[in-house]
Amino acid sequence: MTPTVLEMHGIVKQFPGILANDNVDFDLRRGEVHALLGENGAGKSTLMNILYGLYRPDAGEIRVAGKPVTFHSAKDAIESGLGMVHQHFMLIPVMTVAENIVLATEPTEAGIFLDYDEARRHVRELALQFGFSIDPDARIEDITVGQQQRVEILKALYRRADILILDEPTAVLTPQEAVELFGILKILQREGMSIIFISHKLNEVLEIADRITVLRRGKMIDTVPREGATEEGLARSMVGREVLLRVEKPPATPGEKVLELRNVDVRDDRGLEKVRGVSLEVRAGEIVGIAGVDGNGQTELIEAITGLRSRESGDIIVHGKEMSLNANPRAMLEAGVGHIPEDRHRYGMVLDFTLAENVALHDFRYPPDSRFGWLFPKVLVERTRRLIKDFDVRGGGPQTKARNLSGGNQQKLVVAREVDRDPKVLIAAQPTRGLDVGAIEYLHRRLVEERDTGRAVLLVSLELEEVLTLSDRVLVMYEGEIVGEHAAGVTEEEVGVEMLGGQREKVA
Amino acid sequence: MSAPATPPPPPEEGEPTTTAGKLQLRQRAGGIVPPVLTVIFAFFMGGLVIAASGHNPIDTYLGILDGAGLNWFWDDFGNTDVFELTTFNFTQTLLRTTTFIFTGLAVAFAFRCGLFNIGGQGQYTMGIVVAVWVGAYWGDSLPNGLHVVVGVVLAALAGAIWAGIAGILKATVGAHEVITTIMLNWIAIWFASYCFGQGGPLQNTTRGQESVPISDDVYEKSGAIIPILWGDQGLQALHYGFFLAIAALIVFSIVLNRTTLGYEVRAVGFNPEAAAYGGISVKKNFFLAMAISGLFAGLAAGTDIFGWKYDAGTLDVQASYVGFVGIAVALLGRSTAVGVGLGALIFGALDYGTTRGLDPEKFDPTLAGNLSSMIQGLVVLFVGADLLILYVWSLRRKRFATPRMAGKGV
Amino acid sequence: MAERSSAPLVTPLRVGVAGVVLGAAAFWIALPPIHARSLVVPALLAAIGIGAGIYAARQGQVRAGWSAIVIGGLGVGLAYLATRSSVGNLEIVFTWSSLIAAMFVFATPLVYASLGGLFSERSGVVNIGLEGMMLMGCFWGIWGTDKTGSWITGVLIAMLSGGFLGLVHAFFSVHLRADQIIGGTAINLLAVGVTGYFFIQFYGSENIPAGVSEIPRLDMSFLQSIPPEALGDFLFGAFGRLSVMIWIGFILVALSHVVVFKTPLGLRLRAVGEHPRAADTVGISVYGVRYAAVTFSGMLAAAGGAFLSVGVVSTFNEGMTAGRGFIALAAVIAGNWRPFGAFWFACLFGFSTALAFRLGDAYRESVAGLDVLAQMLPYVLTLIIVAGVIGKSFPPAAVGRPYTKQ
Repeated sequence: MTPTVLEMHGIVKQFPGILANDNVDFDLRRGEVHALLGENGAGKSTLMNILYGLYRPDAGEIRVAGKPVTFHSAKDAIESGLGMVHQHFMLIPVMTVAENIVLATEPTEAGIFLDYDEARRHVRELALQFGFSIDPDARIEDITVGQQQRVEILKALYRRADILILDEPTAVLTPQEAVELFGILKILQREGMSIIFISHKLNEVLEIADRITVLRRGKMIDTVPREGATEEGLARSMVGREVLLRVEKPPATPGEKVLELRNVDVRDDRGLEKVRGVSLEVRAGEIVGIAGVDGNGQTELIEAITGLRSRESGDIIVHGKEMSLNANPRAMLEAGVGHIPEDRHRYGMVLDFTLAENVALHDFRYPPDSRFGWLFPKVLVERTRRLIKDFDVRGGGPQTKARNLSGGNQQKLVVAREVDRDPKVLIAAQPTRGLDVGAIEYLHRRLVEERDTGRAVLLVSLELEEVLTLSDRVLVMYEGEIVGEHAAGVTEEEVGVEMLGGQREKVA
Repeated sequence: MSAPATPPPPPEEGEPTTTAGKLQLRQRAGGIVPPVLTVIFAFFMGGLVIAASGHNPIDTYLGILDGAGLNWFWDDFGNTDVFELTTFNFTQTLLRTTTFIFTGLAVAFAFRCGLFNIGGQGQYTMGIVVAVWVGAYWGDSLPNGLHVVVGVVLAALAGAIWAGIAGILKATVGAHEVITTIMLNWIAIWFASYCFGQGGPLQNTTRGQESVPISDDVYEKSGAIIPILWGDQGLQALHYGFFLAIAALIVFSIVLNRTTLGYEVRAVGFNPEAAAYGGISVKKNFFLAMAISGLFAGLAAGTDIFGWKYDAGTLDVQASYVGFVGIAVALLGRSTAVGVGLGALIFGALDYGTTRGLDPEKFDPTLAGNLSSMIQGLVVLFVGADLLILYVWSLRRKRFATPRMAGKGV
Repeated sequence: MAERSSAPLVTPLRVGVAGVVLGAAAFWIALPPIHARSLVVPALLAAIGIGAGIYAARQGQVRAGWSAIVIGGLGVGLAYLATRSSVGNLEIVFTWSSLIAAMFVFATPLVYASLGGLFSERSGVVNIGLEGMMLMGCFWGIWGTDKTGSWITGVLIAMLSGGFLGLVHAFFSVHLRADQIIGGTAINLLAVGVTGYFFIQFYGSENIPAGVSEIPRLDMSFLQSIPPEALGDFLFGAFGRLSVMIWIGFILVALSHVVVFKTPLGLRLRAVGEHPRAADTVGISVYGVRYAAVTFSGMLAAAGGAFLSVGVVSTFNEGMTAGRGFIALAAVIAGNWRPFGAFWFACLFGFSTALAFRLGDAYRESVAGLDVLAQMLPYVLTLIIVAGVIGKSFPPAAVGRPYTKQ
């Protein structure tokens, strides 16, 4: 019987308004990959942050190698042999790989000066030991996301971790990079590392894990070995009911061209070319999805289409109307572009405004909302009331501050506002990010409904599954270019290859 | 090479990132309690300082109250002399309140757009220069009523332009308004010192006074002054500018809450990115907010010169601090119209009560002036902090509210 | 994938910079020791400079190009003024060696304060309160020197007072997570009140007594004997009799550079300022580092203030810092949060102050009130730099954002 290296008993953690962990038990055996599965908000990250000393549990006990421990900080956890690779990397972009790895445990010369040579040597050695090469002097902001993840792993190894926690590691990787990651994990397993793998992706978990624990709304539901576990069974445990894993949708009947891009080039703030010669078209009554790993130009492309960024060259034609290179958001709005932004808190709404004020965000300067600069609040309130009813927005009325609504309801309001303006083309960027399954289902259904009323929809999402499920046509974006176009029904593997740039040499 | 993008560290979910946002978020929750607590706390700390320097805090504060003439409201006066003195004190307090309302609005309006206008003093100073120029150096070219109006309007414009410089710099090159407005403050002070100083273009033309760095007097030179509201013309009296200040408060509130300009300003103040997404020009609003703020500061200067100061000198300009009081007023009043009004009253009372109005027997006035400054600083300090205390407090309440509910039958 | 092409020698950026240099040279040759009295050569230089600027701007280097155009225009304009002025007056103002010495004198309070600001900002805390901390140092430094008779204890007492204010700022910014700009402004208001209050309390109407212990100067007269004679004279004039605290300032700049970029302490400091959560996860105490950095910044700023009151003017006046704390902050930003960068800009501001005083002295009769107007120089300069230079700055990524430890 393999020894247990880690146990967590009866963990409870309360946040204001949320019981994140409700009496959770968890254990880890030496040399196993134990997956922690659950949807967004189930409590997985919280549990692991407690384990890593970043949060303190309100109740419960943790044992490492049989001995009870209390972690007051990450430092304690590190000393007990734990290492964590966070979902949002804890790397300092302007510093080098070596600096990031040795931070807080730096080798010194004469006790005062930083010994950079020693740091470099050590980093190279470690990397070689586990089968990948990395440049210690490269700055984090200049290397790929996959490589950054490896730096994170190296950080843990440098501190002699023998328990490794990975929080949603494939969220930022292409399918190919995920395969490479799994390869590394297998090597680590062989070297005696015990691994906790947090994910909400059923297929991955079934591939890599030896055991799977499911969390739902803060409670531990079940722990099962891989043999015998199925996607449906796991999904049911995750959500508590039968889940529609695929959206039912009738085939599309596309009409005329509504949005057309011809050879569009966009640069980012630093002057780098992020979008190169992109041409695409979206017709009325179809959903076109753009798949791609984060950072391949999707953000800049959306910004150019919605007017938040000016483009270098190329044409954007909305319903026959050519838009100028410097068209601002207002011009795009008036041309008929609707935008569900990828970060509703940053772009979609003003959290400190009321719902009514948020609904007016695009049109407040026109009648009937205002005239000659004077606002008419009653008009806004009426419209908001109607939208709240039509889109089933819960949590408050027109005078409630947007901040007080849940994420899902906020997103519904944003969608309501955009759709109500009857745009000719609807751009949906990461529309279901951070939402629970119920809200995701609703939004997916709604997008398909909009398509069926004849609207053109452009969907950009980092969730490959979402793109594949909803789109009538799938475009793949890589390094600023459209590298592939597929009809609905294409598989993840086919798309995944293109997301990494087609047939390429494997870069270690 | 391949796409480098580093997933950025996300800000705390939904936390406001702008100053205005942070201020607005928590203060509504507490209503009037936090400002009152802030003031009490600040006065308490001030009392400690007084005690530390060997004086009795209670006596001192009572002396200040009397000096401010606030006892006008409750004392019953047997002695008419005392009544007259108290009335006079009160009018002086209101006089200062008028100025502080304007300078407070100058800071408050910018704050609502997320900008920190510390340049009120410089904007005020430029307003003074223009007001004196129009009032004393245009002679009798205009009928008095029109003369006053033109003077006040031009002073306001001067303030608007001066603040507008910082606004443009912020809008075009993103220069931080804190540094630019402070530099503009000093440039204005030296410019005004030059104007009123020896050999300067606005120095007085009185024979025998060539070495005195003061300007000509508006009252003498053109007689264009704002009519008196309350008090004796011979002694400084309260003028109709006071009503203008009240009107300014109302206009401030209406513009912010009922106009599209106000909507834009508030949106930019809370969330510039969402505002841009909504089609609002952030840069235009930065400029407008600063310019309007400067307008208020310039109004302060105009009403002061045409209302009671009538002239200005190098020393006035260098020793003046009304712009800075405006900061404390705006923060204490949470950048709302009512708040600024009440805050201006408190600081007006504090200001006058610790200087001219204070009975020298009770407390050395120069010391008291600095005490007032210290209390202002404490108020600003605690405003920044009390929001957090409030936040933590509200967290505590939510904590205790939920576990019972979560446990039941989920 | 991208081949590395050899960088060409003549880039638009370099042309633009050359234009700036030419414009400055146009003015410079009209001054001592060259004393060009005709406008021909300056005009020529300025014209070439402006041409270079236009070329650079056309090629995309907008900032450098426009700077060259502006400076070219200014250069020839100022050269014109210089040729109209008497040589004698020019000599008074532009004795370069004493001008440089004066530059160091005025720059040093800024140097200390900007180093303080640098540490604070590098840890992620905006320190707008440098002005107030400096002012505290001004008063308590001279009070301490007066009471104890020694400038060393005076400066130490000053640093204590500055450190105390720094601690207050740290508490409000780090623990209470208050807005750092509001907090800094509050510190400034507090400092004005406290120093003014105790100034009156202790010294009433008498003012600080004269003859307060002076800070010794470092005698470098050996510089004078360096051949050739002109060089020796120049070096002696510039460096020969500078205050000890000025030299300490130089050392502090170099020391800061080493600490921030070459030691583990500096690495951790920068980590906290760039990505506090990352630093937290490797076990660095974010709160601890920020507290230390901000308190230290208060101490340094106060030391700068003490030098101002004890070393430069030998007295105290209410509000005597006159915005220097903010100029120091601008120096930090303009210098890209690097010690040497901040140092150069502090010197630039110090130079403008020194120049302002001399201009005022020399031309007092010809232009009434020039001495007052000239006082604007450092502030106008700061404004221009803040507007012009600080476009592309790369501050510590997390500066100004309070950190929440869960």
